[in-house]
Amino acid sequence: MSSRIFIIIVWVISMSTSVNAQKFLDDDPLIVDDDRLVDVGAPLRRGLSDYYDFFQNTFDTPGDRTRTGALNANTLGEVPDSSWFQNRHGRKRMTIDELVRGPNRGDGPSRDGVWTVTDGKTEGVTPGFRIRDARGDVYLIKFDPPGNAEMATAAEVISTKFFFAAGYNVPENYLVFFQRSDLVVDPQAKVSVGLQRPREMTDSDLDGILSRLDKSPDGRYRAVASKFLPGSLIGPFKYNGTRSDDPNDVIPHEHRRELRGLQILSAWLNHDDSRDVNTQDTVEMEGGRNYIRHYLIDFGSTLGSGSVSPQKPRAGWEYLWEPRPVVRRIFTLGLWDSPWIRIKYPDLPSIGRFESKVFDPTQWKPEYPNPAFLNALPDDRYWAAKIVMSFTDEDIRAIVGTGGLTDPPAEDYLIDVLIERRNKIGRHYLNDVSSIDHIALDDGQLKFEHLSSVYGFSPSPSQYTLEWFRFDNEKDEKTFVHTELISKNSGLPVPPVLQKDSSPYFGVEIRHETHKVSVFVLRSTSLRIVGIERSSNE
Amino acid sequence: MLKHKVRISVVALLLLPTPRYLSASDTRAGRLQEQRLKKSQTLQPPQRSSLEKYLYDAKEQRFLERYQAGWRGFHPLFGGLSTGSGFAFGTKFQKTRMMGGKLDLTASGQASFKEYQKYELNIAAPRLANEHLFLSFGFVQRSSPQEDFFGIGSNSQEKDRTNFLLEDTRYEGTLGVRPLRNLMIGGRGGILNTNTASGTDNRFPSTEEVFSPTTAPGLDQQPDYTYGAAFAEYDSRDAPLNPRSGGLYRIEGAQYSDRDFDSYSFRRMDIELQQYLPFFNQRRVIAMRGRLQLTDTEAGKQVPFYLLPVLGGSEDLRGFREFRFRDNQSIVFNLEYRWEAFSGLDMAIFGDAGNVFPRVNDIKLSEFETSYGFGFRFNTAKSVFIRLDFGFGREGTHTFFKFNHVF
Repeated sequence: MSSRIFIIIVWVISMSTSVNAQKFLDDDPLIVDDDRLVDVGAPLRRGLSDYYDFFQNTFDTPGDRTRTGALNANTLGEVPDSSWFQNRHGRKRMTIDELVRGPNRGDGPSRDGVWTVTDGKTEGVTPGFRIRDARGDVYLIKFDPPGNAEMATAAEVISTKFFFAAGYNVPENYLVFFQRSDLVVDPQAKVSVGLQRPREMTDSDLDGILSRLDKSPDGRYRAVASKFLPGSLIGPFKYNGTRSDDPNDVIPHEHRRELRGLQILSAWLNHDDSRDVNTQDTVEMEGGRNYIRHYLIDFGSTLGSGSVSPQKPRAGWEYLWEPRPVVRRIFTLGLWDSPWIRIKYPDLPSIGRFESKVFDPTQWKPEYPNPAFLNALPDDRYWAAKIVMSFTDEDIRAIVGTGGLTDPPAEDYLIDVLIERRNKIGRHYLNDVSSIDHIALDDGQLKFEHLSSVYGFSPSPSQYTLEWFRFDNEKDEKTFVHTELISKNSGLPVPPVLQKDSSPYFGVEIRHETHKVSVFVLRSTSLRIVGIERSSNE
Repeated sequence: MLKHKVRISVVALLLLPTPRYLSASDTRAGRLQEQRLKKSQTLQPPQRSSLEKYLYDAKEQRFLERYQAGWRGFHPLFGGLSTGSGFAFGTKFQKTRMMGGKLDLTASGQASFKEYQKYELNIAAPRLANEHLFLSFGFVQRSSPQEDFFGIGSNSQEKDRTNFLLEDTRYEGTLGVRPLRNLMIGGRGGILNTNTASGTDNRFPSTEEVFSPTTAPGLDQQPDYTYGAAFAEYDSRDAPLNPRSGGLYRIEGAQYSDRDFDSYSFRRMDIELQQYLPFFNQRRVIAMRGRLQLTDTEAGKQVPFYLLPVLGGSEDLRGFREFRFRDNQSIVFNLEYRWEAFSGLDMAIFGDAGNVFPRVNDIKLSEFETSYGFGFRFNTAKSVFIRLDFGFGREGTHTFFKFNHVF
């Protein structure tokens, strides 16, 4: 037995059974995991190599690959709020205004005075620089690649808001327009040029950076101003393992539901750059204690944008290195290939390459394997698909509207693609496990919804089988006491045999077609649902 | 490995359940908190393997970007000497957009293990008159000590392989207009000094040991030239160093005047057509090229053998050795099917057909030499940086390892 498997078994034992076999504990379901209670002190900054990340994840299998349920999901299958994730739109609908505002708490860099450029880089394909505004706030300024005006900046702004509404921590990203005269170079600013040590930055350096950019006829530059995250930056988190200097980080990341489920959100938004180096941990303070908050950053390579060019046709379909298709292509002279090779994209420079007709959420892949994505199970994907489905057409239209796309057909196309990709995700993953959800006991009457049919992805089940059981929480045992066939999904009373029962827990298995959901109820001052378990087809 | 196991064991111990009598709580939150308190007793700074540290430092130091950007304008050069020169390296100094963005300066020096050398200086103003006018002055000096010569004509024999030293120095000025973004029309002129001597490749005889001035005109005397040329070029290729779409159409007519002997003046016409037909999201490309090189002299004059149009080798007829065929006229057609194996490698299968002829009227399709083969093209989106081609022809198999793209 490998030590990784050993750890997981120990973890599961410790979390689920401890020294007694209680399935449910007093505070289940855990709604908030307060993972900020232990002071983290001042952890060192940890830089990650993206080269190493690529090689490790491509040619090795980092993290634990034991097939196990997400370790941080609560007994309802939901993700408790934590320093990783805050339930937002998926739990309680955000208003359109809230969706449009996203993570932004202000209006972007102050317009009171010029922006002071504090450093820049002249190499590479993505020119950019940092500025400090009149308020002293620092922003990273990022641009569109020449020839694809609006593409990367719109993708960054739009995807930031979707990921925020989904529940992830993301930076404040603002769409900004400015002229050369709005910028001054800080006398202390540094610039890296060639093999030389960073030297003082000059106006000429700034002009050189700007000369590589498209600008509007009125001389303005369009960019994303990404506000520096609060607290101190200590480097990316990894999608596997835990951080050895963070006492609050005790759940292996590859077993966190919000990271496993991120695969589905990434598929929706084509976030193929969902890898370690596009994350960031920060040390923030709350209640006099330091704790680490975990962010997703850099959404320039989402939707149809590949940051520095339109997204590559391969992106989302195939890892950067994947031997099987490569060998097939070489030996068939390229006559065999994946579906992506034949996809036709509309000529929309502000969109890049993004489509929904051929999109298959089950085939979607990031640039290289992600340990958390590889561990995702049907209930992780169901959890994420529910969040994706929580975005209505109107929500999508409102968020896309914040991208500042000036070509109406392009904007309409993007909205249509997002809606169709959303529906493909819902159609698959809401049927992969039982989509019975929104389960409630009101006045002793059971009710639920079959989400797949609510969204029109499958016919409503004509019949459900309810098997009521008494539940022994200490032994984790069900004793079935009553079975009934029903054709409705509300106004279902708890059977008398359980109403009069004195045992603290009871439940019901709801079966339809090949699916099953088990619901666990605790009698306290009222009847309270404490557990939901779904069967899967996998 | 032992360290790893110890670390795993420590973590496992930390995760062991706490006996109930020690448990602070029978709540989910309480258990999590217990685990966190335990872990807080044995925190360790993040560790990195030496490989990760090395790769991280490479990224942090931006070696790749700084390599591309060069050092104070200096850039390393690999390859790029005349075909058959062997592995070559050198350095290039480049300073662009001087004098208000108008002037570019390039200077380079290269040498190969076969002692080929090339020195170059170029001062260009490519963006005059709102980029409609371009002007440049340049100097190139080359020394090629093992240039192959098999005799003139398509009937030359492979067994007659000889080699010679070719030295040339060119001083050239170019002036042109760019009426459209992709169209250039202009002229160039200058001085060309040439010299030949014995070859240094001891495996084969030196050219003068096998051939005479009759069979290799210019073998005994090498003139200096003045020359002038006019050209027109339309270039719509998307990435000239790794094109996937568009085309290049170029024609140039030149007059070379012998300043020393009045025996080797000649006219030359070069026509080159390239077309790239992409499909399947530009992951497949049909690449086509046709190239015609014609020379002509007045009665009683000859083109020196070392300035004749040439065919063979990695750039055109890949089933034959470099410089395999020389004559007054050459024509070649290349057809390639390129397909992407993965990001960073394109494969290619190709067919080449062409030959050299003494006169234009002698050009016959039936006398074309043919070759075929396959290749590996390691590339970025904008350029091919390593090319490995295997060419097959009636004279055997030839392997070419190059630092450039073919066309």
